[in-house]
Amino acid sequence: MNLVRFLAVNIVGTLLRVLPFPCKTGLVKIGNPDRNSPVLLTCNYHLTVERVKRALRGINAYLLLANSRGINVWCASAGGLFTNHDVISVLKTSGIEELVDRRDLILPQLAATGVESKVIGEKTGWKVYWGPVRANDIPAFIKDKCQKSPEMREIDFPFMQRIEMAVAWAFSISVILTLFTIPLWREAVFPLIFLVWALSLLIFVSFPLYSRWLGPEGKRMGFILFDFGRGGFQLILWGVVILSLIIYSIAAGDFRWGFILRWGFVTSIIVVLLSIDLMGSTPVYKSGLHEDRLLRIILDEKKCKGAALCEGVCPRNCYEVDRDRHIATIPGASRCVQCGACIVQCPLDALYFKSPKGGIITPEAVRRYKLNLIGRRLVKVEGR
Amino acid sequence: MKVLESTPNRYDRGICILTLGRLDKTYDRLASHIREGQRVLDLGCGTGALTLRAAQKGARVKGIDINAQMLDIARKRVAEANLVPNIELLEMGVAELGSEKSESYDAVMAGLCFSELTEDELTYTLREIKRILKPEGLLLIGDEVRPKGTSRLILNWLIRFPLVIITYLLTQTTTNAVKNLPEKIEEAGFVIDSVTLSKIGNFIELVVSKPQGGAN
Repeated sequence: MNLVRFLAVNIVGTLLRVLPFPCKTGLVKIGNPDRNSPVLLTCNYHLTVERVKRALRGINAYLLLANSRGINVWCASAGGLFTNHDVISVLKTSGIEELVDRRDLILPQLAATGVESKVIGEKTGWKVYWGPVRANDIPAFIKDKCQKSPEMREIDFPFMQRIEMAVAWAFSISVILTLFTIPLWREAVFPLIFLVWALSLLIFVSFPLYSRWLGPEGKRMGFILFDFGRGGFQLILWGVVILSLIIYSIAAGDFRWGFILRWGFVTSIIVVLLSIDLMGSTPVYKSGLHEDRLLRIILDEKKCKGAALCEGVCPRNCYEVDRDRHIATIPGASRCVQCGACIVQCPLDALYFKSPKGGIITPEAVRRYKLNLIGRRLVKVEGR
Repeated sequence: MKVLESTPNRYDRGICILTLGRLDKTYDRLASHIREGQRVLDLGCGTGALTLRAAQKGARVKGIDINAQMLDIARKRVAEANLVPNIELLEMGVAELGSEKSESYDAVMAGLCFSELTEDELTYTLREIKRILKPEGLLLIGDEVRPKGTSRLILNWLIRFPLVIITYLLTQTTTNAVKNLPEKIEEAGFVIDSVTLSKIGNFIELVVSKPQGGAN
């Protein structure tokens, strides 16, 4: 029964990945927890919850589901929909405080861009431990007394996740295209759906082949089609499609320019649709759509005391902390996806963002307005 | 992701469409219960609609909300209305009501607040409100509720659905109606003084009081 629900939620959740998918918030018991069992917290995105529960099989624990409005941990916390308040609320209102003796809370690492461990501690007395990025690493994390290996901290874009992204895009785009083509061009419905799925899978499966050409620097907005640098990956992909169309029609012994033109046009639209914000569709690059939001992370060495919270929450392993000299460095700055987690958590305010135009976004602004509002706030912040 | 953008500057307009403009009158009626010199708490004060009304009656009002941007707008409006000495605005959730003193408020107001809460939060909040209200203190509520009866539910859905779509497209805001609110309030040990339901039964105005000697 549990397996059926797990599969159903995974299928629906993957197809409709672009939409929120809430489930009930509050306290869930995993196994037979007692007064010393670990307390974990996650968002109320149904897909996440099912996966976390599955990852925790065989463990006795309390799982708190905070109200992230049905959105996954990373998006919700970066977007200001999964905040200190949601964590405090579930700690205070779920009844967990009567069930356990210790006040230790394991939070998902990716929530670090929206939830401040310091504030949670001050307001509730609970000590926050930043858990691993992936739910499957939770058992090892608990066994190791809340120690994380660098791999457990790092976000990547493995094959299965790329397939999920491809399916999410292909499904939503084919639904929209079908609605348009049924009244207008009925015989094209199935070829179109086929094309959308094939191209989407091609784009995401082949990601490692071209990802090295994707650049973290901004591109001009006029060239969102060529979202990555000198690339023009879409053009290449489109060329391949046209070539296969020509080969197909010659092989079928029925070559007509009209056929090539029509399907060439349609495929160009599909390629553009699917790859319009390719970088933003991956967890390892910042969206290239908003050039003004391509911020740079800066470390104020005078303020840094090597507290190393940055190292523990950075999902790209950008940081190295010199524990003798008590100072952090950012050797991996080029990998940064500007999630802001390090800035939010730094107890000494030693980190901040610098905008492409040289403006400074203070830790206070990142904590208060979250990432999605920084773009809008930039003008004001720079004006100071 | 557009869906994620918090849009406090568009919130007021969004709510106005969703509630078909009835909110202003509701808030006026709720604020008419406030007397000069009273201590009032406004839960989920948002952009300050109820807070300002209560302060205009001469009450000392504390408004709390979890949305920093909404509070920014509220602060601006408070300053424009020259009510700064009477109003305290705090970024704080209902889960932090535990820090308020028992029996310290004459009235608690909640305009479109309960519909934002989870079930656990609502239960907790009602319990805390009862604790912090003085005996015979008032709880004033204006909120969206789930209508009772199938025909009303369907009618509500038909009217609400296009409104929700329009509002969402314009402002990316929406609300979730509360189920069985009057019952939950009575369960929490309050006495309901008056109930005003909209025609379709999807919006409720409640004047509730804490019974004398009913402090837990």
